[in-house]
Amino acid sequence: MQTIFETPKTIKENSRFSFCPGCDHGVAIKLVAQVLDELGLQENTILVASSGCSVNLYDYLELDCIEAPHGRACAVATGIKRAHKVQGKEKFVFTYQGDGDFASIGLGESLHSALRGENITAICINNTNFGMTGGQMGPTSVLGQITSTSPQGRNKETHGFPIKTAEHIALCDGTSFSARVALFDVKNILKAKNAIKKAFEYQKQGLGFSFVEILASCPTNWRLSPLESHNKIENELTKTYPLGIFKDIKND
Amino acid sequence: MSYIVIDESKCKSCYLCINACPKKLIKAKEKPNNFGEYTAEFKDDKKECIACAKCALVCPDIAITKVVKE
Repeated sequence: MQTIFETPKTIKENSRFSFCPGCDHGVAIKLVAQVLDELGLQENTILVASSGCSVNLYDYLELDCIEAPHGRACAVATGIKRAHKVQGKEKFVFTYQGDGDFASIGLGESLHSALRGENITAICINNTNFGMTGGQMGPTSVLGQITSTSPQGRNKETHGFPIKTAEHIALCDGTSFSARVALFDVKNILKAKNAIKKAFEYQKQGLGFSFVEILASCPTNWRLSPLESHNKIENELTKTYPLGIFKDIKND
Repeated sequence: MSYIVIDESKCKSCYLCINACPKKLIKAKEKPNNFGEYTAEFKDDKKECIACAKCALVCPDIAITKVVKE
């Protein structure tokens, strides 16, 4: 008898995710919880949750949590990290944000945290729209994507081009690790877990800002089945958002 | 005999596990649960499960709470 898999300890008992069926948020939270378990960080971690679908993360994770104003999770995390450092305590601080939070409303805070080289980790779930409010077009929507505020599809003349967050963060000198991963099949889920683990380890070693962008599906707002949305990520979204590690301070 | 445990109250019938199982041992139930969902069901009459845990890895709701290998 050998248990291959069981619910991570960091997940609260009897919690039921409030996400839509097939949403990749659940997989991302599970990976984060597994990595926190493996690194033994649960007792020493402060999570900064954000606005969006990730807003009630503290209902699912057995961690100390704080809710940041919309888009300001990295700024709040900076304050927490520095305040504890002044008191001589080393806390593990990470943010969990959507693309509307990290790359749209909070782009200034996020980018400048990376430029300052704050020793925090940011995880950004990119589902190419504002999922919680009804699938409006976000800065990450790809060209031609039909959303509730772009019924003719995203047009480069009027709406401009989508932002490639992981590449932008990789350009910042304070960044220690920046990667983009996806969750559409088992192989990529395992790659995503490795990337999250690396990002968390880099913070533990004090190397600077570490960042993981996760391409996730939004079946409800894309109006596709869970499997079809995974196929869309694999065949369409990865053309605009190539997967890979864009900065790794130990390999550069 | 390897097996998995499915928590019916958490399953939202996205059926990603059905597509992930290499042995096709997971199927949708014929009767709905309290939420009116035809949740996933594990049926392994020939004891084919290899405990690869792919179903547990892709499940977005952690409804597959345990995978045991023997």
